[in-house]
Amino acid sequence: MTVKERINRFFRRLTVKKVIIGVLVYGWLGLMLVIVFTPVLWMISASFTDATQLSQVPVIPKFSEWSIVNYKELFTEKSTNTQAFSDYIQAFLTTLMIAVTNTILVVSLSSLVGFAFSRYRFKGKKRVLLTMMGLQMFPSFMGMLALFMFFRQFGLLNNPFALTLIYVAGSIPYNTFIVRGFMRNIPKSLDEAAAIDGATNLQVLIRIIIPLAVPIMGFIAVNAFMQPWLDYILPSVIMPQRDTVAIWLFRFMDPLGHEYDPIKFMTGALFLAVPIMLVQIYMQKYLVYGLTQGAEKG
Amino acid sequence: MDQESRFKRGLIKVGSFLHERILMSVWRFFKQLVLGIYNFFKRLFLGIVNFFPKIYHAIKEEPKAALKGISSFLLPGLGQVRNKQWYKALPIFLVFFIFILIEIFTSNYIYAISGEIQEFPAAAGEPFYFFRDYGGFFTKGIWGLFTLGKLVLGDTYRGETIVIFDKIFTWKSADNSQVLLGEGTIAISLLLLLGATWYFAIKDAFQSHIDIRETGEVEDYKTFIRRVWDDFFAYIIIIPAVILIVFFTLIPFLFSFLVAFTSWTGRVSIGEQLFSWQGLETFKLVFANPDWLKFFGDVLWWTIFYAFMSSVTVYVLGLIQALIIESKYVVFKRFFRVMLIIPWAIPALISLMLFRNVFADNFGLMNQILYEADMTDTVREFLRGISIFGKPLVGQASNGNVLWLTSPDNGLLAKSIIIIVNLWIGYPYFMMLTTGVLGTIPASLYEAADIDGATDTQKFRYITFPWVLRATAPVIITTFTFNFNNFGAIYFLSGGGPGYPTEAIPQSVRVLGAAPGQTDILISWIYKLTFQSTVNQYNLASVYSILIFIFIGLVAVYNLSKLKSFWEEE
Repeated sequence: MTVKERINRFFRRLTVKKVIIGVLVYGWLGLMLVIVFTPVLWMISASFTDATQLSQVPVIPKFSEWSIVNYKELFTEKSTNTQAFSDYIQAFLTTLMIAVTNTILVVSLSSLVGFAFSRYRFKGKKRVLLTMMGLQMFPSFMGMLALFMFFRQFGLLNNPFALTLIYVAGSIPYNTFIVRGFMRNIPKSLDEAAAIDGATNLQVLIRIIIPLAVPIMGFIAVNAFMQPWLDYILPSVIMPQRDTVAIWLFRFMDPLGHEYDPIKFMTGALFLAVPIMLVQIYMQKYLVYGLTQGAEKG
Repeated sequence: MDQESRFKRGLIKVGSFLHERILMSVWRFFKQLVLGIYNFFKRLFLGIVNFFPKIYHAIKEEPKAALKGISSFLLPGLGQVRNKQWYKALPIFLVFFIFILIEIFTSNYIYAISGEIQEFPAAAGEPFYFFRDYGGFFTKGIWGLFTLGKLVLGDTYRGETIVIFDKIFTWKSADNSQVLLGEGTIAISLLLLLGATWYFAIKDAFQSHIDIRETGEVEDYKTFIRRVWDDFFAYIIIIPAVILIVFFTLIPFLFSFLVAFTSWTGRVSIGEQLFSWQGLETFKLVFANPDWLKFFGDVLWWTIFYAFMSSVTVYVLGLIQALIIESKYVVFKRFFRVMLIIPWAIPALISLMLFRNVFADNFGLMNQILYEADMTDTVREFLRGISIFGKPLVGQASNGNVLWLTSPDNGLLAKSIIIIVNLWIGYPYFMMLTTGVLGTIPASLYEAADIDGATDTQKFRYITFPWVLRATAPVIITTFTFNFNNFGAIYFLSGGGPGYPTEAIPQSVRVLGAAPGQTDILISWIYKLTFQSTVNQYNLASVYSILIFIFIGLVAVYNLSKLKSFWEEE
């Protein structure tokens, strides 16, 4: 079929109803796009200006006047001269360290726990599950006052590793449910066959279950890696003298705060958001899969 | 059928749906909950009542086994040694030994023995706290937990004056209630662990004796270890996680719980003052004092409304969006799908902070757009014209800009903006969820419908819609509980503001500086109560935390009770 024929066919099939629906649908989608992208574009254009105040940021980005002076500042500005990197990079590295440790611990511990709960019967199992279910519903910061006191008592304030342990403990319950739900769907006949061939419990876990559970592990790993970048409350209490990226950002974003610097905030935020967005969109399939799993299996 | 009876029939349908599906399940749930609690206490009571008769019978019927149990009671592990099971005795004894070591090494018993008590005697009629002065981690911990400290700066004790900190005579240091409460909580939790080990040792010594007599042989350590590794594999692999949860979630939670029953507020200055147990005083303040009750009511109402609205709006918009994009009228499906999930991909924290600047008073994006379009006055006057509860929606800004999030007269505009922003951030998740669910509808359903000659509308109404609804509706409850505690959505966006006008804050609340903002939800108010250095109403914050705990706990357990897969678990 030639292009001309196609166009002809298209117009032949066009009815008034279709036109109206089309206008409505695309109009709606267009409106949504505008609403979604206006603030985003504003953030981008703010970070690429040499403006120092919000009032100088144009509503509609002017591409001809772009400058990267804000980014230069981001990578060079130090609060003390002794530190090796700029404040932002320092915060970034601290967060990265927490994120990596968190990912390793969360993935290994939750897969163990999930495995135990999906494959074994043992006394008190239901009670532990119920407790975990309950714990999962409460934000970790209910115990934060205590954690702050304990950490101060034992000299653990400003220690990123101690912070990581709180994250790990807090995320195990939720992850357990997700992993358990996934592993229950792996046929038990696989383990039984392996057991007949003389595989031990540990071998079953490592050789059979884990390779099959990679998608759900991916989901957990991404979540665990993301968590510290986006958490404000815990580090603000537990690490009062050491910045994570979220704390760094918050300092400049509050219009009522005395360090208010929206341009700096938007630059830092954008620099942080881009890699996270890429990961999110790239891992979208796993993430959505995990979310629906979590929703269905509880 | 005429219009009216149709309407009535619809009403009856809705009514019976509500009754059957919601009311009845809630009723059943509460019935079960009450029954469960009743059964728990019944069993506890029976257990206590039957405890001694049970032991009496055990001793009478199995005197030799009981003797071994008693050995383990006297010294954990001794019964196991007498059973010739040294491999069990060793770890049990080791646990016991470690506890004793901790107690001794953190104590000052040695000074007590070497005559310090005689050197600094307590005056006649004056109290003398042995465990406070010389106890180790556990004994002092328990002393501290019960008393929360006795002596403060400047007190005379044993003929000496109490100072802030004395390095040599530690008993001359002033008590610090916070530390005592914290260490007491940890000590009690660890002692419970020791108790469990002890109990296990006694029971095991008793049971093993019977087993050995019946089988006639003592298991050697190799078979024992192999058996434990196989049979208790599940326990072994969950231990690290359980330990972490106990130390970083359960014990802190216990601590926060206890704080609710103390008089701890920020005004207790360390070393100079103590706080004490005061039972339900703080609960009384929260519920019996009309000023506090009013604030609590306001905040709770807004929390529930916010959680409900934000869950429902994101759900509906996400659903509509997915249905539109997946409909046959849209050609560039992939394009729109990727473009419209952008808000999901941007970290919520950043979006929220960004929107705080979008709605900033001075030159935020919204005000700039209005300014460029020369609409500022129109919009502001329009919003001022909408008067709710006798108050205009927007107050006067000095430079004419619209005060989106900070208008003090009426928090309603800020509240609406919070819900709208939450919608911006939250809808893509439900859009993706719905899209995913749409893909799981079996094609055979549509084929069957085609054969029956169903129209598109019918297919949508009887296949697509119910299917999607059934698969995604449970997520609303999860979203609700999430939003109920969605600290970030409030704190980063409005910071809880605008505050109430000063005249609306009663004196008793104003003194403490503890009033919530008009958009504060419970959790963000608790954060302010706890960590804002000018407030520090720790006990009050703990009471509210407990209330959230109960509320969310009920929702969670209710949600759980509906999951078949959970209850089928053996």
